[in-house]
Amino acid sequence: MAVKHKNLYLYLALACFLGIIIIFIFDGYMGVYDTLIIKAGEYEEEIEADEWTQRDGGFSTTAVNWGEKAFFSYKVDNRRFSSYTADIEVSLWHEQEKVYDIMAQPISVASFDSTELEWVLDMAELVPDSVGPDQVYEFTVVIKMGEIERSLRVRVSSERYAPKRAMEIPEPSR
Amino acid sequence: MKLEYVLYGFGLLFCIAGIGYLAAEYVKYLSDIGKIVSLLLTVGLFTFLGKYFEGLGW
Repeated sequence: MAVKHKNLYLYLALACFLGIIIIFIFDGYMGVYDTLIIKAGEYEEEIEADEWTQRDGGFSTTAVNWGEKAFFSYKVDNRRFSSYTADIEVSLWHEQEKVYDIMAQPISVASFDSTELEWVLDMAELVPDSVGPDQVYEFTVVIKMGEIERSLRVRVSSERYAPKRAMEIPEPSR
Repeated sequence: MKLEYVLYGFGLLFCIAGIGYLAAEYVKYLSDIGKIVSLLLTVGLFTFLGKYFEGLGW
């Protein structure tokens, strides 16, 4: 009996340990997750929900080449037993001032389902004519979904595809 | 004391530190209820382990 009693505490301890592992797996999976995918030129960048919190001040940064179009895809994944409803507002900001609203619409995602919103930003239209291709222009895309707010700083420049300069071949010394 | 036991001690310490670090990182993604239940289960885990070792005569 004494042996059984001793083992009982060991089994209870193991049960607690398993319970912690199950909570970590289950609770970590459950929730509402948003992912932003940016495609520009030959590049594709994906920013997942946990990456926003890790980055400084909730900001994330991407680079787009001058005159290109950037294709945005915002995916909302509802991993809950109830449906998720929220108003999504996407706006474009420059120097702390709102330039314009890209979109504003309510979404409703069923339990364990996902939805995707897409929009395109044309750098040729966005960047003022006074800014030349040799300069860097930055703006911010702010996504508000209920209480969640994501900010993406977009850096427009010609650095990404800057053509390699032809190397000057020194003349052979005689 | 044998050197092996010292090495076992180091190994055990590093294991606990590693698991502790991973748990501290992962706990950020848990909900409030998940955190409370995990805390209670952790208390229970150490209590039962303590009782088990007490029964063994430690």
